[in-house]
Amino acid sequence: MPISTGEFNMRNVFYRLLATPQGLLGSLILLLAVVLVCAGPALAPFDPEAISILARYKAPSLVHWFGTDQLGRDIFSRLLIGARATISLSVLATAMAMLVGALLGTVSGYLGGRIDEALMRTLDAVMSIPTLLFALLIVSTLGRSDFNAVLAITIAFVPSMARIARSVALAARRQDYVNAAIARGESTVYIVVREMLPNIVAPIIVEATIRVAFAIMLFATLSFLGLGAQPPQPEWGLMVAEARRYFFQAPWMMLMPGLAIATVAIGFNLLGDGLRDALNPKGQRS
Amino acid sequence: MTAAYLTKRLLLVVYTLLIVSLLVFAITQLLPADAAVTLLGQSATPEALAALRARLGLDQPAWVQFSHWLMAVLHGDLGVSMRNGQPVLGSLLDALGRSLLLAGCSLLLMLLIAIPLGIVAAVRRGRPVDLIIGVLSYIGVSLPEFVTATLLVLLFADFWQLLPATGYVPLGDNFGEGIRHLILPTLTVSMIMVAHVSRMVRSEMIDVLETDYIRAARLKGLSRRRVLLRHALRNGLLPTITIVALDVGYLLGGIVVVEEIFNIPGIGRELLVAVAARDLPAIQGGVLILAATYCLVNFVADLAYAYLDRRIQYA
Amino acid sequence: MNTVFRLNRRRFLTTSAIVTGAAMLPFSSTLWAAAAAQKGGTLRISVDQAVGMLNPLLARVNPEYLLSELLYNGLTRLSQDMQAEPDLAQSWSHNSDLTEWTFTLRGNLKFHDGSACTAKDVAASLQAVLDPKTASPGLRNIGPIKSVEALDDLHVKLTTTAPYADLPVSLAYPDAKIVPAAILQGDMTRLSREAIGTGPFKLVSFEPERMVVVTRNEHFYDPQRPHLDRVEIRVYPDPASEGSALMSGDIDLMLSAQATEFTRLSEANGVKGLRVASGQFLNINMGCDQPPFNDVRVRQALSLCVDRSAMVDFVAEGFGTPGNDTPLNAAYRYYSDIALRQANLTKAKQLLADAGYPNGLDITLVASDKPSTRTQLGIAVREMAKPAGFNITVATMANSTYLDQVWKKGNFYVGFYNMQPSADAVFSLLYTSDAAWNETRWNNAEFDAAVAAARGTDDPVKRSALYATAQQLMHEQVPSLIPTFFDVLAAQRTYVQGYQLHPRGAVFRLDQTWLDDSAPKRG
Repeated sequence: MPISTGEFNMRNVFYRLLATPQGLLGSLILLLAVVLVCAGPALAPFDPEAISILARYKAPSLVHWFGTDQLGRDIFSRLLIGARATISLSVLATAMAMLVGALLGTVSGYLGGRIDEALMRTLDAVMSIPTLLFALLIVSTLGRSDFNAVLAITIAFVPSMARIARSVALAARRQDYVNAAIARGESTVYIVVREMLPNIVAPIIVEATIRVAFAIMLFATLSFLGLGAQPPQPEWGLMVAEARRYFFQAPWMMLMPGLAIATVAIGFNLLGDGLRDALNPKGQRS
Repeated sequence: MTAAYLTKRLLLVVYTLLIVSLLVFAITQLLPADAAVTLLGQSATPEALAALRARLGLDQPAWVQFSHWLMAVLHGDLGVSMRNGQPVLGSLLDALGRSLLLAGCSLLLMLLIAIPLGIVAAVRRGRPVDLIIGVLSYIGVSLPEFVTATLLVLLFADFWQLLPATGYVPLGDNFGEGIRHLILPTLTVSMIMVAHVSRMVRSEMIDVLETDYIRAARLKGLSRRRVLLRHALRNGLLPTITIVALDVGYLLGGIVVVEEIFNIPGIGRELLVAVAARDLPAIQGGVLILAATYCLVNFVADLAYAYLDRRIQYA
Repeated sequence: MNTVFRLNRRRFLTTSAIVTGAAMLPFSSTLWAAAAAQKGGTLRISVDQAVGMLNPLLARVNPEYLLSELLYNGLTRLSQDMQAEPDLAQSWSHNSDLTEWTFTLRGNLKFHDGSACTAKDVAASLQAVLDPKTASPGLRNIGPIKSVEALDDLHVKLTTTAPYADLPVSLAYPDAKIVPAAILQGDMTRLSREAIGTGPFKLVSFEPERMVVVTRNEHFYDPQRPHLDRVEIRVYPDPASEGSALMSGDIDLMLSAQATEFTRLSEANGVKGLRVASGQFLNINMGCDQPPFNDVRVRQALSLCVDRSAMVDFVAEGFGTPGNDTPLNAAYRYYSDIALRQANLTKAKQLLADAGYPNGLDITLVASDKPSTRTQLGIAVREMAKPAGFNITVATMANSTYLDQVWKKGNFYVGFYNMQPSADAVFSLLYTSDAAWNETRWNNAEFDAAVAAARGTDDPVKRSALYATAQQLMHEQVPSLIPTFFDVLAAQRTYVQGYQLHPRGAVFRLDQTWLDDSAPKRG
């Protein structure tokens, strides 16, 4: 559904977003996430890598806010550092998928016909490989590292992002402003980039925001299976995986990063819902 | 449902499976360390490696390996596992059966919980019930499966000792025990889907409840309940079916974590092990079977969709 | 009241196992026979990885060793204190210079299909293990055998390439199992699908990723054994669920328990924790043929950074013993008690500076992800070595990639080894110049000479002195940093009797296990 530039006013959207409880809460959590990512290392009270034989398995206290792990490392500090990996890599993966998918889907929707059909069928084929397994294959091939996990998640997300972009593009294509541009003789590139994309951006951003939550969990799951971040990185999913075997001695080792993952994922979900409502004030959906 | 439509669908399925097989094969060719290395481990010598590779057919060029495999598949033979020499098709189908059982139970549980929850939340929109359901949904959607699984096991199996911690007794062997062993894994898998689908149902129902179609029905004097059940529900369910169909792919492969934790030898776990061992026939076979299942489920979903919305035509 | 008593008793039992293991008291299997073993019952064992390989000549991991022990026999087997015990061979003799060994087989040996097991089968099996084409892990481990000859139906003669005192012990290697010559000469792939051995149990069903079932062999050569009717090996890849299964009674015996779970398991109702000091170790291998580790001062500097007692806590959760940079500890015969190296950071820094690195040294340490203790060790060493100027980056990778790209090739990585049956076995496997797995490329002539001389004599006094020299050399020159040994840990239900944890980690002897009256009756 096209939104004319008049309504698509950043300020209005912003205020509408903050007016809803989901939007407000989601934005707050997002703000927290941004702070963690940018200033995390500076805020850490302890060196996240420092091991200490005397401080092993300490419960949360005033000294160690979230307790310590099996090597005596401060969990709060590790969480702060790990925020960078978990949050920014998940956002990166989703953003890349969004870009590629939006482009693919819009082009396909605009061109239509055989090309559209072929492209979509191929993307469907790729989608029939379960995300996790696809990511697993890619990571095994490229080597286990957090960046490769990002790449894997991106590739796995592209088909569904493309599909969404395409359906929005299809609807947009029939609109008058596109036909007018064609009548004017504008090039395909111009139409796609300057006319269609801006109107497609909104629903895609909503979808992307919710996808980030999924990416965070997927990233954590990959690390849990040993395919994402590698020890000794303080990535949250990896911390949960490593902490499982210590659960009976030190449950906070697993609960803290688990809560962190859940909180950020909830935040992005809330934000996505809030954005959806804010961008479509009448409550209708395209 | 015309013959032309069915033929087209079938061709599409074949195309999909071909693309999938090619893609996966291409990726496996890039994997570092092959099955010979993983099988021999630290007892690998250059002669041993060469001998094993010849025996497994790994010394031939990639396109030859792929065409051999393809030919065999067309005859219904998925080859033997490089790890233990057992036929791939048999063990994968067994594993698939177990995953489908878990998936099926989870879907059932999910539908039984999510649809009523979504409807209640939609009908009582804005009231405390809606809010509570909403909050629970957000939490449900944001907890990764391995966290949920571990917590459930710790609560129900270790702490309260109500349910068994491990997940698989064949229903054929002992139905009661089999069901007991399925409870925790099913709960884990369905939790995320319940949260997801109930929110979906809720927003669909809200939309539908406000359409002219419903208003017209109400004006006609039909009772609220009847309106809900016969008209709103059917239309609200359509997108749900699409979501569910899309989720099956996630279900089958993605529950590898649940299969690992609850010790269910399902197809997700088989594939994980196969990739780690670079067992090419098992990897290829597994992905093929999964993709085929996904296509089948989508097909069934499309049929269900068409049945529920008689206004949609298939050429 | 009762719980206190029970806990104390349990602690006593586990402690006594440690004491027995560590002090290496001579242990006779007849002690177990004293308690009246009952026949019957099904034992359920849990293992933490798939029992992939049915072929005993190719077994590589503990679950596979377990299965092949149930279905097959070797000429000899290991007793609790690492001596060779008769298995298929009832006695053996050797010539004066230890190059020719003659083994006499028992008379009534039968394979599961009824055919007789004779010296011909023994010869064919050992030859198969020694054949490079078979690619058996036993190739390098059963001893320097030149030839195997069947003299008649009951006698086998083995000739070694050099005097070798430990041949009966090395023939107890898990892969040196006897299979029918007919299969070896015919279709060897049958060994991956069928199990026709002489073992105490026969194969019933084989699902490598899920469960393997075996049942008693009524024609086993010792009519007193096995005691059990049936054994089920169940695969549990997730350690937490494995532990839960044991505690709820779904499983009777857990083959190996993780250090982090051990305390919880031992204290659970009806569960007994098993622990024995073992020579299992992690080693940080340094490539001695290239910079920076070709300079012995750099290696010594690193070894001086490590607090070994603390390392036992960090990496083994306290279930271990400190290491002194040799692969032997008190669990081995011929262990020589050198004073434990203490951390000395100033000296370490000085040595590094002397070697030409006054501003420190940047290196990458590679750790495979199996087991995860490799990375733990890497992290701990990294932190301990930081103050001395070592700037270590720990890189974890998949085990298969590690084997393909790093093992034996890299110059700084973490290795992991089970306890070997003898000092010679571990030295010849890893540290002599011609060792098959010469990870460090240390190539020290004096060390080679000591090991070669020690294996060629069976005089314990001479061997003791030679091995002491070898250990002293390794301790001084530090080709590998070995800071910790791990105890072997397992757990069982209290009604399982006759099972003893073996420090080798690959020996299980389930033919001596039985279930007492309190065991649940299973169909």
